[in-house]
Amino acid sequence: MQDLIVEGTGSIPAIRADWEAGCVVMKGDSYPENAFELYQPVIDWIEAFLAREDRPLRLQLQLLYLNTSSIRAMMDMLDQLQGAFDDGRTVGVEWRYERENERVAELAEEFREDYTFPFDILAHD
Amino acid sequence: MKQHEELESRIETLLADPAYADHPLHEALASLFERYREQTRQIERVSRIADRYQDAERDRGLSYAARYQRQLRQVEKIVRISDRYQNMLRDMNQRLHWLSSRDELTGLPNRRHALVRLREELQRLGRSGGQFCLTLADVDHFKSINDGYGHDVGDRVLGAIAHGLSEGVRDYDVCARWGGEEFLLLFPHSSIEEVQSVLVRLRRQVGVLSGELLPAGAAGLTLSFGLTLCRDAAEPLDAILQRADQALYQAKGQGRDCVVIG
Repeated sequence: MQDLIVEGTGSIPAIRADWEAGCVVMKGDSYPENAFELYQPVIDWIEAFLAREDRPLRLQLQLLYLNTSSIRAMMDMLDQLQGAFDDGRTVGVEWRYERENERVAELAEEFREDYTFPFDILAHD
Repeated sequence: MKQHEELESRIETLLADPAYADHPLHEALASLFERYREQTRQIERVSRIADRYQDAERDRGLSYAARYQRQLRQVEKIVRISDRYQNMLRDMNQRLHWLSSRDELTGLPNRRHALVRLREELQRLGRSGGQFCLTLADVDHFKSINDGYGHDVGDRVLGAIAHGLSEGVRDYDVCARWGGEEFLLLFPHSSIEEVQSVLVRLRRQVGVLSGELLPAGAAGLTLSFGLTLCRDAAEPLDAILQRADQALYQAKGQGRDCVVIG
């Protein structure tokens, strides 16, 4: 499976799914016109990785603003990870936020609710 | 049920008894009994299948309910998170709006905000009549303060004067930084006489600042004022501003530290 790379713009995050590293990184704002079109390839990539590999999968997020359909897509991805975790796989999320932007951390905490896999919310300067 | 079993076992016993083997009814009863058994088996089988269908339907219903509950929770979570994002955006928007209407150095409303308030005041005049006063105030010899004591002192002087002016006006007046060392004061519902008495107070307050901000022996801090009255809602804003500006220019020409009415 190939790596997945999406160039970020003002309205969509930069996305990089690295098969070798077992890592998906998403950075930026997300209010695309069509969230399904943007995130379905990411969801498919995660699905394929979980199906074909036994290695751990990490999701590294540095997202500032998400519109409603992006929130939905994000929860679909987190549900995928929860499913894999329930099957005994090693998965984890790292949500990074700028230290002065405490509200982003609060939102990440809202996302974290209900999930039992490792989900770290980390401040950076 | 018990009766059925008793009857069945009686018939079985009779059919098995060799004494009745040659009876003319024996063969007919045996066939009938066999048919009865077959039909009973069929009924039981159909009932079993029907029961299993019912169980499967009930399970399906339960899984629909569980899935519905899960999706409902998910939707609630999306709505909650989305609301929080919108609140965050609204707050950021308000903050940006506040920042865009403020002068960074003095914290006073800036020129943009002053113009908005002036237009509002003119519109109010058009609706309900009345009058308002406009004053432009300029710090005297500000260039020599900057040159003589440095820009840091100049900035502190501007900050202190801004503070003094905004504290000295009434709550519904507007005190804005118009640009450089120039301030705009807007006095709604006010006559020239009322504003003149406010300006007396403001000039006294500014005079006190000199000792706090400038070295001993420095010339005192003073302001020159151009004051004008507006009663005509149809008068262009530029014309009103120009009148105040010319009055200020005259005040400067008359030796500064004074109020000229234009």
